[in-house]
Amino acid sequence: MLVLRDLQQQYTKFRLGYLWSLLEPLGMALVLWLVFSVLLGERALGLSPYLLFLSVAILPWWWFTKSVNASTRIFRRARGELAFATLPPQIWVMRTVLSSSVEFVFSLPVIVLAIALTRDLPGIYILFFPVAIFLQFLLLYGIGLLVSSLSVVIPDLARVVKIVMRAMFYLSPILYSISNIPQSLHTIAAINPLVGILGLYRIGWWPEEHTSAVALVISLSVAAGLFIAGIYTFHRLKPRLLKEA
Amino acid sequence: MSIIEFANVSLTMPRTKRRSGSGRKQRLRRFAGETSRTMVPVLEDVTFAINQGDSVAIVSGKPLVRTSLIRLAGGTLIPDSGFVSRTQIVVPMIAIARAMGPSFTIRQNAYLVGGLLGMKPGELAEKLPAIIEFADLSNYLDRHLRGAPSSARQRLAWSIAMAVDAHVYAIDQMLVVGELEFRQKCWSAVDKLRENGATFLISSDGAKQYRRFCDRGLYFEQGVLIADTTVPEALALARKARREPLGE
Repeated sequence: MLVLRDLQQQYTKFRLGYLWSLLEPLGMALVLWLVFSVLLGERALGLSPYLLFLSVAILPWWWFTKSVNASTRIFRRARGELAFATLPPQIWVMRTVLSSSVEFVFSLPVIVLAIALTRDLPGIYILFFPVAIFLQFLLLYGIGLLVSSLSVVIPDLARVVKIVMRAMFYLSPILYSISNIPQSLHTIAAINPLVGILGLYRIGWWPEEHTSAVALVISLSVAAGLFIAGIYTFHRLKPRLLKEA
Repeated sequence: MSIIEFANVSLTMPRTKRRSGSGRKQRLRRFAGETSRTMVPVLEDVTFAINQGDSVAIVSGKPLVRTSLIRLAGGTLIPDSGFVSRTQIVVPMIAIARAMGPSFTIRQNAYLVGGLLGMKPGELAEKLPAIIEFADLSNYLDRHLRGAPSSARQRLAWSIAMAVDAHVYAIDQMLVVGELEFRQKCWSAVDKLRENGATFLISSDGAKQYRRFCDRGLYFEQGVLIADTTVPEALALARKARREPLGE
């Protein structure tokens, strides 16, 4: 509940900019749709309707990058507060992840819009959508713990994370479908935890999109591994982190 | 009964090294990967206990030593070795005002700081009138902190800290704040708390405050606890150390 208030406080700053959390991903989806569907034409990338296919993955992706990039700055921003706050420092990570999640939820109307435009209603598997949200939340919290504590010790990490995120954008099935990748590479691709999660987001519309159960398990266990690594690293670095405050 | 116990506590803190050489040289060195951060020892094997009702002065020439001790006592810093144990909640009063946002209203800031000090929203809502009254800010409650008088930050910080449900306070340089009138209000609040058996750990720049509020003095030199005595004696030791240059 303290987190909620922190969040609310943060949001008073952004109230004017609420529309932006809609427009930003929408704009990006439109541009990519234009390039990959209209301009490049019939090269079969992803599944149709492509606009919907794109926006279903772009929004979670947006949430992912925002949260991870913000994680690198958490403790630089919280410096003054850590000196006297008697709360456990994990709260700051939780707060960052939560506020980016709220922004994600606010941006969901983009998908509704895309559904309206393409008139393509999801099937029963849409029930996996909230599951995917939950899993991504856990993944982001784990990565947040890992990245935020490490970037206190290694200030250069923020830059590295930016590059990694850019690479991840192309390495994850956002622009394309997992079925665009040769079958033999599926298992390797599944090491990227986003593969499994994005698959769950899309499964409502494209049941064939979800990768083999093995790949899904690999994705999710990598996500779980990151989560545990995050908790462990954060715990180990806590004394150091407090010192920097 | 001891409330805070330090057992063989040692601590190093990161400090920015003073750079030498021209700007170009510095840039070159930074390019070569030399970092400007080094760990400096702050406390070495410090052991003491604070009992119920004590009012302890931390006498040390180094502000870093004082602040670190306050933070260790409040639990917002973890020692490298040794243990700090507390039997009650300690309110760490360290630069609280710095965490406030100028674009938030007084009310929002009260919730923010109160929350950071571990108060629940319901508890805060209940105590808000008293907090605002103590800080004398009722006219500004829903105005931005930016527009309030410059002393509002400190006043608010004090009143929130006083509202926390605790009997142990660790105060770092917050005794001399605001206008004379408000300062006296704070001081009498501290006096009252002391009468009621509250415990204090105080760090300050001025010897005057130590004499007024404390009945026990811990004197530190280079992070080592030298003497655990009365306040006048600790202050005398500090004065003597200042007159004699180090290394003699």
